[in-house]
Amino acid sequence: MRLFLRSGCYGLAAVVVGVMALLGGCGGEEGGPSDEGTPAAPVTGGELRLLGRDPLTLDPACASDVDSANYIVEVFGGLVTIDREQQIVPDIAERWDVSDDGTVYTFELRRGVLFHKGDRQVTASDVKYSMERALDPDTQSTVAEVYLGDIVGAEEFIDGDADEVTGIEAVDSYTLRITIDAPKPYFLAKLTYPTGFVVDRRQVDGSTCFSNTNWQRRPNATGPFKLKEWDLGQRIVLEPNSRYHLGAASLGRVEYTLGGGSAITMYENDEIDVTGVGLNDIERVRDPAEPLNQDFHEAPRMDIWYIGFNVGTPPFDDPKVRQAFAHAIDKDKLIEVVLLDAVVEADGILPPGIPGFNEELQGLEFDVEKAQQLLAESEYGGPDGLPDMEIASSGRGASVGPVSEAILFMWQENLGVSVSTRQTEFATFLSDLRDGEYQMFELGWVADYPDPENFLKIQFYSGSNNNYSHYANSEVDRLLEQADTETDEATRMSLYQQAEQIIVNEAPWIPLFHDKFSVLIKPYVEGYTLPPFVIPRLRYVQVEE
Amino acid sequence: MQGILPFVVRRLVWAPFVLLAVSLATFALGRFGPGDPVEILQGQYHNPEVVERIRHERGLDDPFFIQYGNYMWDVLHGDLGTTFAPRGVPVEDIIFDKMWVTIQYNLVALVIIFAIGIPAGIWAALRQGSWQDPLTISIFLFFRSVPVLVIIPILQFIFAIKLGWLPSSGWEERDILGMKIGILDKRIIMPILALSLPGIAAVARLMRAQTLEVLDEDFVRTARAKGLREVVVISRHVARNALLPMTTIVGFALVGLLGGSLFVETLFGIPGIGQFTWEAVGNRDYDVIMAVTLITASAFIVANLITDITYGFIDPRVRLGGGGPRY
Repeated sequence: MRLFLRSGCYGLAAVVVGVMALLGGCGGEEGGPSDEGTPAAPVTGGELRLLGRDPLTLDPACASDVDSANYIVEVFGGLVTIDREQQIVPDIAERWDVSDDGTVYTFELRRGVLFHKGDRQVTASDVKYSMERALDPDTQSTVAEVYLGDIVGAEEFIDGDADEVTGIEAVDSYTLRITIDAPKPYFLAKLTYPTGFVVDRRQVDGSTCFSNTNWQRRPNATGPFKLKEWDLGQRIVLEPNSRYHLGAASLGRVEYTLGGGSAITMYENDEIDVTGVGLNDIERVRDPAEPLNQDFHEAPRMDIWYIGFNVGTPPFDDPKVRQAFAHAIDKDKLIEVVLLDAVVEADGILPPGIPGFNEELQGLEFDVEKAQQLLAESEYGGPDGLPDMEIASSGRGASVGPVSEAILFMWQENLGVSVSTRQTEFATFLSDLRDGEYQMFELGWVADYPDPENFLKIQFYSGSNNNYSHYANSEVDRLLEQADTETDEATRMSLYQQAEQIIVNEAPWIPLFHDKFSVLIKPYVEGYTLPPFVIPRLRYVQVEE
Repeated sequence: MQGILPFVVRRLVWAPFVLLAVSLATFALGRFGPGDPVEILQGQYHNPEVVERIRHERGLDDPFFIQYGNYMWDVLHGDLGTTFAPRGVPVEDIIFDKMWVTIQYNLVALVIIFAIGIPAGIWAALRQGSWQDPLTISIFLFFRSVPVLVIIPILQFIFAIKLGWLPSSGWEERDILGMKIGILDKRIIMPILALSLPGIAAVARLMRAQTLEVLDEDFVRTARAKGLREVVVISRHVARNALLPMTTIVGFALVGLLGGSLFVETLFGIPGIGQFTWEAVGNRDYDVIMAVTLITASAFIVANLITDITYGFIDPRVRLGGGGPRY
């Protein structure tokens, strides 16, 4: 598992940490647009210093990783965005209507949304251009179909059978109509991801994800911050966009150090203002006697770490074997002893906080007797009838890590089965995983947008490319298909909950835990939120001088 | 001198073949090894059609020798390809800057290692039999035995957190005569310490052993017998002869240092080539891996050649041996 390798503070998040005064609608100082209804808070300055990594790309159409998306959402903008309460709110679109059948979205664009440079306003044709550019096969985006593929005509356009995406219509300068192939309530959530964000066609024309990428060093966009500098491997500097239509940021400057380094040491030495805390330091910062304890914050993440079974290979083709393995893991002990309570136990697939999270879900609890009984009842008749078993994980270390070791030990102790391990680095792991080479594997999945579809449909629908368990259950498929197009929110969530309960019972996965952010934030930094997925959050931050 | 020229020519003639073999082997390892850069780009989201499309556009589905031929043709025309991470940046725009960073601080470390190791080795040899000899060598060996991964956090704890003298990490460049120089900043002190401390022991030990060997030679006894002052004996006769083999390990010492650069660059946040190549291997960033391999191999060929030529100049026995050493 990769989870503790990253230094943690970039990314995702759920609760608002630190309190801040709401940015009021107090009139712009720095020559903001004079239109009514575009509040611009005064730019008060203050510098925020963060540790970051080089983004793979700053082209919204091409971004598929958390690091890139984190920068892009601060610099670019799209029709809609997510606020710090994690609600989908207007960005370039001022309002929208959804047709009764749930397939036609009519966006009314905000007037006076300006690009960073010059006085050009964003119009509906800019949005259409940006989305079509992302879908254009020549752009070579790996994710455009995931996020924009629901739009009518997208497939024909990708296949080269059409010159435009018919489902995206610029009705007039400020009205954009998007038609999707079926009522999909999560469509708006997908639009908050960078793929369809607005780019300046004069700047990006002729560029693809892999060529002519120079414009990304100084992108002209509409987000709350401007990219002032990107010095590869050294630093990224952001400066506020004083004309930002949702209210200018309070920070005067954000500097990301990209070279790496020991994050917590840099934090203690006052070189950065925020850092993630790894397992090695977690007990120290939790100690109330430790000065750093004052700066310590935790917040849930929307992810799930699990053991997946390939249900097509023996012995995990028998659900009873999978259930036995699940019942034989003492997750309480694992989390307390090995993970030092830095994570939250997972009974089901969906993490707390995501719509559709089911408090009532029945997990496969720790029960040694039941585990042994199930294994005896299985077609393999008990531990001695099982074939050789191996669990695969990704990593570059010399050992598989304490979590795996603990689980292997529990299986040995409680079931009398011995499982060997195979560790490969991520690239090899990924390709072997896709080829179905593993009997079982350890992996995690992080939410891209807050919808149960992003977990359940992608991972357990029999036709999904991401269904690495090769799990197929016609009832689950039916529930997921129905939920896909169900417009009543409560009914839809109930469908997902039913599907989730079946999946948990049949155990193609053993859900282990949901990660938490463990972060240190300097006391003079206010409003730094830890949302569970990528949202533009820096405009809420204030740094006291 | 007549031995040197044919030797150099022969080595130069072989150089392109060596590079060709290196490039072919590396290229084959990348293409036939597990993992694929486009799949990595997709992460867990998997869409086989998209992968195929991008592989096709990037020429990754061509037959092996076509891909290799295209690549080498581009290289000969000065095009080293483009990177996957970050996406679409010409390789040459990135790696030379990063190599320059790594070379700068490694050269400083190399100078320090030899500047301390050589006198320390001679000093220890001259005090053979006293307590000073084992003590000196033991101290250096201590630093040699503590892994760099342990030394670095200790240095950071002392100099950054406790004393507050140095920033814990980072790399600041200054523009000096049009060159970006990063080794004049105090941030570089800890990385150089971490890199050079373990290396000193190797040089000091070798120098000590060589000195002891030379001290036993007849010509040293002769020099002393004819009444030369000890300082002159040591500096003119002992040290000069003992230094001879040291020239051959300069190259190897540099290799060792570059190997350690990965950790140093990661833990001190230095944007050098070690860290970048490591990431490139993980990402299957073929063009970066190829470029780094080819440039490094070329550098080794040149460095080896220079070492051999230098050696020939210093030690006449080498070039009198019928055309020089065969390798």
